[in-house]
Amino acid sequence: MPKVLIPTPLRQFTGKQDTVSVPGATVGEALGALTARYPDLRKQIFTDEGKVRSFVNVYLNDEDIRYLGKDATALLEGDTISLVPSIAGGSTVTAPPEVSADPVALSNDEVLRYSRHLILPEVGIEGQRKLKAAKVLLVGTGGLGAPLGLYLAAAGIGRIGLVDFDVVDVTNLQRQVIHFTSDIGRKKLDSAAEKMRAINPYLKVVKHETALSSGNALEILKEYDLVVDGTDNFPTRYLVNDACVLLGKPNVYGSIFRFEGQATVFAYQGGPCYRCLYPEPPPPGLVPSCAEGGVLGILPGTIGLIQATETVKLILGIGEPLVGRLLLYDALGMRFRELKLRKNPECPVCGEHPTITRLIDYYQFCGVPAPATTTQETQVNEGEIEVTEVKAKMDRGEEFVLLDVREPHEYKIAAISGSRLIPLGEVPKRLGELDPQADIVVHCKSGMRSAKACGILRQAGFERVRNMKGGILAWSDRVDRSVPKY
Amino acid sequence: MIRIEPEPWAAMLTHARQVYPDECCGVMLGISENGAKIVSAALPLENSFAGPRAARYELRPEDLIAAEKAARGRNLDLIGIYHSHPDCDAYFSQTDLKNSCPWYSFVVLSIRGGEFHHANSWLPNFERTEAAGEELIY
Repeated sequence: MPKVLIPTPLRQFTGKQDTVSVPGATVGEALGALTARYPDLRKQIFTDEGKVRSFVNVYLNDEDIRYLGKDATALLEGDTISLVPSIAGGSTVTAPPEVSADPVALSNDEVLRYSRHLILPEVGIEGQRKLKAAKVLLVGTGGLGAPLGLYLAAAGIGRIGLVDFDVVDVTNLQRQVIHFTSDIGRKKLDSAAEKMRAINPYLKVVKHETALSSGNALEILKEYDLVVDGTDNFPTRYLVNDACVLLGKPNVYGSIFRFEGQATVFAYQGGPCYRCLYPEPPPPGLVPSCAEGGVLGILPGTIGLIQATETVKLILGIGEPLVGRLLLYDALGMRFRELKLRKNPECPVCGEHPTITRLIDYYQFCGVPAPATTTQETQVNEGEIEVTEVKAKMDRGEEFVLLDVREPHEYKIAAISGSRLIPLGEVPKRLGELDPQADIVVHCKSGMRSAKACGILRQAGFERVRNMKGGILAWSDRVDRSVPKY
Repeated sequence: MIRIEPEPWAAMLTHARQVYPDECCGVMLGISENGAKIVSAALPLENSFAGPRAARYELRPEDLIAAEKAARGRNLDLIGIYHSHPDCDAYFSQTDLKNSCPWYSFVVLSIRGGEFHHANSWLPNFERTEAAGEELIY
């Protein structure tokens, strides 16, 4: 007689037997005989209509009977029937995409979710479908990327790409509200994507874990309809601008500094681009980054949401886009101002006779060193000195000047004992205070401003000048933990 | 109540971390008495879902048959299924529910950024319209 193997949870219905031999010429007859002998088993395997339940697969030896003769599959002596559940799943809340013929059709759940949009005649079903069909790239998931990511996810954008390679740091939490305290040390991409998907499970998040570069920008950007620039540095800003112009994608721009911000839409339908506004980058070091200059934590919320608003308007095709106008925001005065922007016919990238027709080296263009590709184990270059070596010099009692080129209020937060403060901006006119023959180690917070100060000193004829790599942050990490990081 | 012993628990977490950012899946073997289940072995199985596996999994019936055989060979029972939710909470999603089976405990592991975050166990009902939480001890 053929045997039926009973799965563990069903043995309570077969008197604990794991194998039951039943008569029958076909699979159907054998299962009928089995459930006649153990009536409580019937409900587990068959529906009320007598069909095998959808989660049960019936196997004859190693074959699914659906591919044999189904119920009528003939049985031989010694055959084994197995009842195998069909099990699958996944974190996706939505049904698999193949069930929907129209990828931008809205399910009933989505109609309810977006109902406050749908009752706006300016949005409506059509508009919501446009949002769902839209592909938006957010460059950066930091201060600007945080509100952008949260609100664009909630608004129903179908696909959002994120570009970032950073990890969440405790100093981010003051403004990057998409990252939580428990996310410290996680990749920003993972942290941001998780929050966005938690807000809106219909959203598809594409993670690009890389620094945007001349080598990969066109490849990444071309998949998207629209690019939102949430970067904090000039090389990437020019890169995003040029790539958007070359690909014909609108660039929704925002930037923040201390208490002020700017926003506009570049490269949209014949409007100006970032280079029309700023043909050349500022000299390196002139405009401090947020890490150096500070930023009011709330500021990126305001500017990021202006960018989010423009993004949604562009996708919906409603309202008056922020094109040809630079919106300036002053948080302390609580004022918005607007500057007219014109397209520059001579613009090297979007002008009448462009000279930039492919992406260039933006670090060279901006005169700043390219970031090291390996994060920790970077080489000590000529003219640099490790913090540990500076400490060793101190311990050996060597005579040298430790020059701190940060601002006085930074010095108050943290300082290395024995250092001498001359803020970077005052270095050129206070050269006379320093001995050109002296052994000088220059430091700042992270090494950027001190590199610039080293350049000024060397140009003025100072020869024994070295830049302390990693600045006071590295000092705190590797020499003296009692020095606070900020 | 389902209790997972340290060895299978470690094997499940290792599997989930290795497969991250995809979903992992496998079966749990052990004993079940009077509603109390004790998992003493975990068998990682291949996620055979045909599309992207970051948010879906599928178990091959052949693998389940083999797992059932392995369980019998070790004098254990196949008592549960586990899978991971990368960068997502350990809830029982609609996809999980619709493709589940009321015979087993379903342990879901939330893996965030490649590391274990939390876990839950679920018992789907017969109609597969809802799943009840099951006390999970590990």
